[in-house]
Amino acid sequence: MATDLASPPVRAAKAPRREPGRAARALWRYRWLYLMLIPGLAYFLVFKYVPMRGLQIAFQDFVPFLGYNGSEWVGFKHFVDLFTGPDFNRLMYNTLFLALLNIVFVFPAPIIVALMLNELRINIVKRSVQSLIYIPHFLSWTIVASLTYILFSVDYGVLAGWVHEFLGGTKVDYVAQPEWFRPIIILQTLWKTTGWTTIIYLAALAGVNQDLYEAARMDGAGRLRQLWHVTLPAIRPTIVVMAILMSGNLLDMSFEQIWLMTNNLNRSTADVFDTFVYYVGINQGAFSYATAVGLFKGVAGVLLIFGSNWLAKRLGQNGLF
Amino acid sequence: MSAPRNRRLITGVLTLTTALLASACSGTGGGTSGQADDGTITFMTQLFGTAPNPQGELHQAVEKFLGKKIRVTWVPNADYQEKVNVTLASDNIPDVMVVDPKAPAFGKAAAAGAFWDLTEKIKNYPNLVGDPKILLNSSINGKVYGPYRVRPQLRSAVMIRKDWLEKVGLEAPKTTDDLYEIAKAFTEKDPDGNGKKDTYGLIIPKWPGVSFAASSPFNAIDVWFGAPNNWGKRDGKMVPEFDTPEFFEANRFMKKMIDEGLVNPDWNTLDTAKWNDPFVQGKGGIIIDVDVRTTQLLDLLKEQDPKTYGDKVLTVGNLARPDGKKFSLPFSGYKDILAVSKQRVRTEAQLDELLKTLDKMASKEGQILLTNGIEGRNFKVENGQAVLINQDDPKVKQLQDDVDKAFIQLGTQASTGTTGIAYERVPPEEPYRKDLAERKERVAEDLKTAVWDPSLPVISETAVAKGATLNPIVTDARVKYLAGQITEEQLKAEIKRWYDGGGTQIAQEINDLVSKLGQ
Repeated sequence: MATDLASPPVRAAKAPRREPGRAARALWRYRWLYLMLIPGLAYFLVFKYVPMRGLQIAFQDFVPFLGYNGSEWVGFKHFVDLFTGPDFNRLMYNTLFLALLNIVFVFPAPIIVALMLNELRINIVKRSVQSLIYIPHFLSWTIVASLTYILFSVDYGVLAGWVHEFLGGTKVDYVAQPEWFRPIIILQTLWKTTGWTTIIYLAALAGVNQDLYEAARMDGAGRLRQLWHVTLPAIRPTIVVMAILMSGNLLDMSFEQIWLMTNNLNRSTADVFDTFVYYVGINQGAFSYATAVGLFKGVAGVLLIFGSNWLAKRLGQNGLF
Repeated sequence: MSAPRNRRLITGVLTLTTALLASACSGTGGGTSGQADDGTITFMTQLFGTAPNPQGELHQAVEKFLGKKIRVTWVPNADYQEKVNVTLASDNIPDVMVVDPKAPAFGKAAAAGAFWDLTEKIKNYPNLVGDPKILLNSSINGKVYGPYRVRPQLRSAVMIRKDWLEKVGLEAPKTTDDLYEIAKAFTEKDPDGNGKKDTYGLIIPKWPGVSFAASSPFNAIDVWFGAPNNWGKRDGKMVPEFDTPEFFEANRFMKKMIDEGLVNPDWNTLDTAKWNDPFVQGKGGIIIDVDVRTTQLLDLLKEQDPKTYGDKVLTVGNLARPDGKKFSLPFSGYKDILAVSKQRVRTEAQLDELLKTLDKMASKEGQILLTNGIEGRNFKVENGQAVLINQDDPKVKQLQDDVDKAFIQLGTQASTGTTGIAYERVPPEEPYRKDLAERKERVAEDLKTAVWDPSLPVISETAVAKGATLNPIVTDARVKYLAGQITEEQLKAEIKRWYDGGGTQIAQEINDLVSKLGQ
């Protein structure tokens, strides 16, 4: 995904007409810009493209001691194993389900919060709320997971205790029930990421031409009408870009978060591709199989990003590329 | 700006970028060659504290004793298996690596020839062979890849709040029924005397990992009820622990305890690292685990109340099942082996040289150095036992820490929890001494009823290949059954799913391998 972000400047080099003299002159004229591009390119080359060499082990029975050249080639064996194995459907279902919940709940949350903050009149309230809600962004998932356990443990959880007192009934072990796994993950994600993402939308909102609001008011538009006809259209490009970027990440669940919240009871709903790759690759040492799973996920991610970009353009929006 | 200056600048920047590129690329590969030839032996092992200083007293003493320079990569214990797998995938494998021989990644590397097969050679080094049975247990289908690190052969025990037991007026348990009675009394009879029903009997932490045989309290109870220890012979064929009527018997027993609230409610999520907390804080009263946990409990209770801590823990051995028949859960007798990598030890001559050094390290004198320390500095010998001395001196304290938290991990014939050929340590205070004495008797008694796992030396290929898929099936299903999420019928269906998914093949392979080894 990040590589796609980098592509526009590269394309810019091709933009002038294909006359050798002109291209060279353009290159010379913008030499400092190109020079500044080098570290970025080097970064992608070294950390994103060179490691792709390792992807070949997805098609081998890789044994580190034998190396890339010594390991046996097995073609698509690992992919066949993955697609026909008993884990695939469960992993796909769990991953897509969480992705769907992310789209429905996590994606709109910062937009709504940003719009609400934007309507606030008193600046000091607006700023302090803004600061308060993005603090969780700076906490690691380990801390978020520990907090969740402390708050929701069936034995000593404070929040779980309150819920139990108010609603009565039997005590629910939130952190160990498969049906509670997804709500907890989504709540954690909302709590941790909403405030931070809000910043992007607030920046977009700050750029909205104030004259438009005045004009709308002159025409008799109330607050909701202004929101609908001025604010939202103004930040629509931002929303679209964020949506496309998110689609590329759909299959990337936040590994740490899920790993930390998994236990024997909720594994049936908790296992996603990322945790599976970790378990198979690092714990079990099946490097080839894990790479095959990871490669599949990567390809699916690329397809999703192209797909949603195409869709955005079809719907008359500016795509990402 | 003049043109030449610009050009120079650009050249400079370009060179810099290229250099960065080059160094980043070689970062994955370089850095190993050129170290082998100075005679330094490299090790990798676990660490339980801070890494010892190579200039420290003990490190220097070990080097002097061996007559070799050594360099140890100390890895915090919690991350060890991951670090091993990552190291195996690198070209920076140390000469001697402490590894779990049964870990799939090691098995694959060994099969590919990354480590020396020492099955024949090790017989020439008396200090390295140890107990032939344990050596076989630590092998891969009979192939020995290194000397094992000795551990007690029997460590399972039950730790009970002694003061609570007296309060509810019950005796030390002998059978699982007694255990149930005690857990019930601990839950219902207000053993802490605060007038509230806020205690429970048994403390169980969340299942460690996904493998079925995890030496967890559940595994111990399985064996007590007569199920095999991981694998066992039934009607002349090897069957897994969970495919026996006794397994279901044991599970019904545990489910009853859980259903009646005699177990901590968070038994699914309680972190293993916090296992002691409910016991020490007076929330729960029974732990089923390795017997050395008694020492930890005594330590913690001593912090609370240095006067009465000795009267708060009662440790008993394995329990008999309701009909009085007793089966005890033994351990493999080893923890990890010292495998020799072929990456840098390339020739037989180099190997012999290294094994000679390891043999010296495994001698009585070497093991005392690694697991006791330096005589006259941090301990003295009284009646053949080691007594700690000079512990107030910060330098000696450092030496003691280097022994206890680091170098003891390199011990093979003496180690944590096992005196082996080194000196037995005299515990500092009476309750600890009493525990040690009782432990010896208990272990001797329980070893008579130990249920050995005949499958220990063998590894089934299918289990390795399909482990990621198969391992969690029965483990998760049992926990779900105990939590009341699935019925016994569904648990049986999951076991069938394990068989259908490759378990049948695993059983066949284990059968063949075990009979080939003549066990």
